[in-house]
Amino acid sequence: MRRFRERLGDHIGPLCCAIGVVAVVIVYAVYQPAVLSAFGIASLANASVTLALAGLGQTVVLMTGALDLSIGSEISLVNCFAATFMGGSTTSIVLVVVASLLIGLAVGAINGLVVAYGRVAPLIATFCTSFVYAGISLTLRPQPGGSIPDSFANLLTGNWGLLPFSALLLLLAVLVIWLPVFRSRLGRFILAYGDNPESAFASGIPVRKVGMAAYMLAGLFAAIAGLFLAAETTSGDPSIGNVYTLNSLAAAVLGGVALTGGRGGMLGPILGAILLSIILNVLSIVGISAFWQDFIEGGILMLVLGLAGIRLLRAQSWMTLLGRSQS
Amino acid sequence: MSAATEAQPGRAGPRLSASIKRAALPWLILAVVYALCVIASADFLTWHTIRLQLIQAAFIGLVAIGETLAILIGHIDLSIPWTITLTGMFATNLYAAHPHEWVAFGAAIGIGVAVGLVNMLGVYVLRVNSLIWTLSINLMLQGITLIYTNAAAPTTVVPPAAKFLALGMVGDIPMAAVLWAVCAIIVIGALRFTPFGRAVYALGSNELVALLSGVRLARTYAAVFITSGVMAALVGLLLSGYSSQAYLGMGDDYLLPPVAAVVIGGSRLAGGEGGYGGSIAGAMTVILLEAMLITLNVSQGEREIVFGAILLALAFLFLGRRRR
Repeated sequence: MRRFRERLGDHIGPLCCAIGVVAVVIVYAVYQPAVLSAFGIASLANASVTLALAGLGQTVVLMTGALDLSIGSEISLVNCFAATFMGGSTTSIVLVVVASLLIGLAVGAINGLVVAYGRVAPLIATFCTSFVYAGISLTLRPQPGGSIPDSFANLLTGNWGLLPFSALLLLLAVLVIWLPVFRSRLGRFILAYGDNPESAFASGIPVRKVGMAAYMLAGLFAAIAGLFLAAETTSGDPSIGNVYTLNSLAAAVLGGVALTGGRGGMLGPILGAILLSIILNVLSIVGISAFWQDFIEGGILMLVLGLAGIRLLRAQSWMTLLGRSQS
Repeated sequence: MSAATEAQPGRAGPRLSASIKRAALPWLILAVVYALCVIASADFLTWHTIRLQLIQAAFIGLVAIGETLAILIGHIDLSIPWTITLTGMFATNLYAAHPHEWVAFGAAIGIGVAVGLVNMLGVYVLRVNSLIWTLSINLMLQGITLIYTNAAAPTTVVPPAAKFLALGMVGDIPMAAVLWAVCAIIVIGALRFTPFGRAVYALGSNELVALLSGVRLARTYAAVFITSGVMAALVGLLLSGYSSQAYLGMGDDYLLPPVAAVVIGGSRLAGGEGGYGGSIAGAMTVILLEAMLITLNVSQGEREIVFGAILLALAFLFLGRRRR
């Protein structure tokens, strides 16, 4: 019985999210039966894939015990880049996609350099770089615009029967990036480093490289999210990514990823992202005006963060909490 | 502002020369930036231009009071932008309905205290990271403002007192600068000579030790975040007086600059070291930098890059290092 409870505790985040998703979809279907059609499923998937990708990126960094506040700006940057330079020909599309992924890795590497090698506190470092990246996207594209060829847009946002291509993209990202990384030594290093940086360092784990790799992975996920957003909106917008910074954090925390590092998986943040996106989607269907959107987003965030805080309070004594250095 | 204001309680002695350096650096940076401004445009030598910049700097400087306190205790307050906007909209609307000065100022202080208490609840009671929590509160306040205004047209009825504080002149000196000077003296005095100041530095250096030495943590947290909220709310009222109206997004420029002002002012981002004296120089530096970049026709995007990079460089060079 006790073991059962312990194992339940480990999976409580993803489990609650799954139950939440089912509940919200039922509410949605009651108000809007069309949601269960092929088109409805595709639009729900399209609405949540960006956040799911951002959440995965945030999770990698969270598992090292750090945090990435520049994810939103990274998404905007890739989005603006893709919308500005993606021509119509297949060659240019492939080139721009590859370049976008490289940009994601590069901006992640900058974050990693500053945090892991420069030893600046992760929060402050990524907060600062987020302004640099936002500035670059604003310089690249002062007004929203640009163009995305239909072929690319349809490739990512279309659907094949009940199966939306966006869900396939997410699956592909998990299969090609997440699973190989977390089946490898790097994945174990990331978790070990997040769990206890000192002992990870003492046991000879190359902690700086691990920290750097985590930010680069986050950048890669952000780049995929930015490309998907470009396909979804068929344009570039320098402020489109802003909402994903905090929401990715909320999705990860909802999915049971610990803000203190060393714990988390990929299922939790994905389910958390789907839950959050559908909730925000349902609101407009139920007839709540768009003015409430920020308020409800903020409310969910506060609730999630508050609950995580209470869990932390119960798990650790007041003394150890105060003794830990905060940034 | 001499070096003495920057010396930290209990830290004189062998570290005195270091703290003098730390105190002098912000003013050196200010001098360099001002020289660059003058090179960019001779207008910066006229009192008229300086006066305009001084008013802008006063707004940043007033907000930086709360930000300095928050950073000194090792936290940060990013809920300022929408506290400013919400206060601007709410207080002016309330004033339009009930034309008494005290109504507007009372509403502003009320909003400031409420925001401060909610921030303190998350950061102290729930122990959520302050950067994340206050950003969420900022989002929440944005939502509340949007719901409250319901996309209505901005009000142009502004309490005369707010207008006077923002635009008025005492002789040749702007009223905003006088207000700033008074507040600065109070804050510097409080940090240096009162138990509250010692509690702030103790809390920022090591929270556990502060608790064990009998510092009243809850009270200090509350005082810091409420001060920050009230200063932001006050600036919201002053800003609506400055532009004779309150509008959505009026606080948007107050996310990064106050933090930049404090960091340029030599306070350590991890807390426990620094003071408000430097932040004064920091606020002026930030405003002059912005003015210079605008004079040089640098686009908004490039300005953001410059500010982000400067802040990052400062954090990297000597201020925000992690103690590992």
